[in-house]
Amino acid sequence: MGFGAHLIALAWQALMRNKAQTLLAMLGVTVGVGALVTSMALGRGAQEAIKDQLLAAGANMIIVNSGNYQTERAGAGGSPADHGYVPSPRPQRTPYLVKGPIPGFPNVRLLNAHFEDDPMAEHDHPLASDRLGDNMAGLGAAATLTLEDAEAIRSEIPGIDFVASGVHENARISLKADPTKQWFTRLHGTESDLPVIRSGWIFPYGRFLSASQVRDAEQDMVIGRVVADRLFGEGINPVGETIVLWNQDFRVIGVVDSTSWAAQPSAGDDQFDAIYIPVTTVHSLLNLSKLNTITITTESAGETTRISKQIEEILRRRHGITEQMPDDFTVKTQAQQLLGKGLSPDVARIVAGNLESIDALTIEQLSASLQRANRTMLALLAGVATVSLLVGGIGVMNLLLLSVTQRTREVGLRMAMGARGSDIASQFVLEAIVLSVVGGLIGAACGVLVAESLEQVFQWSTDVSVISMVFAIIVAAVLGVVSSVYPAHRASQLNPIGALHHE
Amino acid sequence: MSVISLQGIKKIYHLGDNTVHALRGVSLDIEEGEFVAITGPSGSGKSTMMHILGCLDSPTEGSYLLNGKNVSNLPRQELADIRNRQIGFVFQGFNLLPRTTAVENVELPLLYTRPVMSNAERTKRAVEALTAMGLADRLDHHPSQLSGGQQQRVAIARALVNKPALILADEPTGNLDSKTSIEVMRLLQELREKQGITIVLITHEPEIAAYGTRIISVRDGVIISDEKNTPRNPEEDLAAVAPIAAASGY
Repeated sequence: MGFGAHLIALAWQALMRNKAQTLLAMLGVTVGVGALVTSMALGRGAQEAIKDQLLAAGANMIIVNSGNYQTERAGAGGSPADHGYVPSPRPQRTPYLVKGPIPGFPNVRLLNAHFEDDPMAEHDHPLASDRLGDNMAGLGAAATLTLEDAEAIRSEIPGIDFVASGVHENARISLKADPTKQWFTRLHGTESDLPVIRSGWIFPYGRFLSASQVRDAEQDMVIGRVVADRLFGEGINPVGETIVLWNQDFRVIGVVDSTSWAAQPSAGDDQFDAIYIPVTTVHSLLNLSKLNTITITTESAGETTRISKQIEEILRRRHGITEQMPDDFTVKTQAQQLLGKGLSPDVARIVAGNLESIDALTIEQLSASLQRANRTMLALLAGVATVSLLVGGIGVMNLLLLSVTQRTREVGLRMAMGARGSDIASQFVLEAIVLSVVGGLIGAACGVLVAESLEQVFQWSTDVSVISMVFAIIVAAVLGVVSSVYPAHRASQLNPIGALHHE
Repeated sequence: MSVISLQGIKKIYHLGDNTVHALRGVSLDIEEGEFVAITGPSGSGKSTMMHILGCLDSPTEGSYLLNGKNVSNLPRQELADIRNRQIGFVFQGFNLLPRTTAVENVELPLLYTRPVMSNAERTKRAVEALTAMGLADRLDHHPSQLSGGQQQRVAIARALVNKPALILADEPTGNLDSKTSIEVMRLLQELREKQGITIVLITHEPEIAAYGTRIISVRDGVIISDEKNTPRNPEEDLAAVAPIAAASGY
């Protein structure tokens, strides 16, 4: 090793005899490697940005809705064609409560089972299933989820980050100060974890509901930016104002806005044209115990598909749903919702109709499609970097050819002293490697600087990795070897006598 | 056994349509400890002889035994190894590497010695060789910081560092003033006398050739005379030159 270090020192010495030429040749390598490092940093930065944005838009989110508009069990046992499955008439679901007197028990009064709300509530109107003769009818509106379901999901499935349960209603709200200012919007009864789940949220004013406000069922309200803009006007801080909902006064404690381009606030959306109050407040004011949704985020973004399958299993078990029956809830991943976003209704319908086939969609697959566009840009940058590296390589070769001519006497002397052709060749190759690696190191440092300044000045996201630096240095070394092959070969073939007498 | 044994050496160059007979059959034996001066005018073939003796070139015909080994038709690579181990070159104009210290210049042949020598061993040998040349206080000087005589002594140290069987000096005094030339000759004589090193000196100057123990004259590719010689005494010559040098303030 000591011997190698000595040779490198000798190579450096030889290079430094022609400082100007060496520095110019080195500059070529520096520019090439710098371009390479910068373009790799930009590429990785763009990838990370896409991933962050997708996470912010909630692509690692699973939403369980109560009710189900499907009448078939989706995906049970795979495709019928796969297993020679012959569809048979679905067995009738046995109503667990029947209307009318039971023979032999005249005093027992039977209740109507009512899936729409509280199964124990008494209703004087016929069930949808009675009215329509379809015992699946009305299930879509059934409020079948409970706080206990949420707790079961929280405790039984590994890989879950947060769980928040929610009640959702449509609500009309008005300003207490000016009752003519009204807005019809979505109401979410929720828990304090929701902002963690919706990682793309920011609070330009105030903050979200606290755990104690949820526990004590306080009449506090967080409003979406669209609501704030409509009721108070853009850019006005509404914190501390009072909003009337269900004839009750609610204090505004915060405004929620989006950080992600994939989820921009717009009128009619579910997140920012909305108001948030504690789920406990909704339950106590409306005397309810149902949940409409359970929102779950997974720790690892790619696991939404696995975890949504497990959620289905747990809920089917807890709700006592038999094999052939459809779910009384719907599990959706945000990725599926994102896919339909921004599409025309016709296309969105087709996407929704094919949801089953894209159930397996993971965040990686989603980001992959976005990264395809990014990769095109990256290929262009890499192309530029490659060309500049090539030019740098030609510069190194030029320097070495010149050097072989200038140092012919030295080569002759070394040969007379017993240097073999291979010794001479490896000396020139080593010089090229030293030149390229030093140029490459400087280039890598410049590349990092350029990437950092692009980030500072233009707010482009960049990500410099150690691996890309190492890669760039290796590329520089390989460049050195390749461009030195021809000059080194020429030097090694010199005739010692001619070389010694070369002037 | 002779250090060098040439038998019927011929060297023919083809330059375009011209055929040049540089050597037309040279036979010669040089014994260990001889100080042989090969002399002749330019074009006589003495340079070609020097190239063949130095294993820088192979003869067209004839055999060359160096220390009993036939080296007349070896491949380039083996010739390089023989030059490295058996021959120490001293060139006209020193041929030292510029911007390189005396030690590093002397280490040069050791870089190519096989098996590979350690850094410490190389430096140790180079320092020893320079010290033997009286340059112990000039180890880290660059050639430009040394006088002509000192540079030539660095070159001789470089030739000796690998303990060769033979020193081949090609016009070593070509660029030197008379005083320094005489000093270099005294040095070569000392090497022969004290260490028994065989020296072959190529020169076109008869007065330089006179320092050898044997003078071989070459002309038109053949040896025209080969005589024992009583070497000139460099001390007397130095005494004669010194007043002039002193007067010129040298």
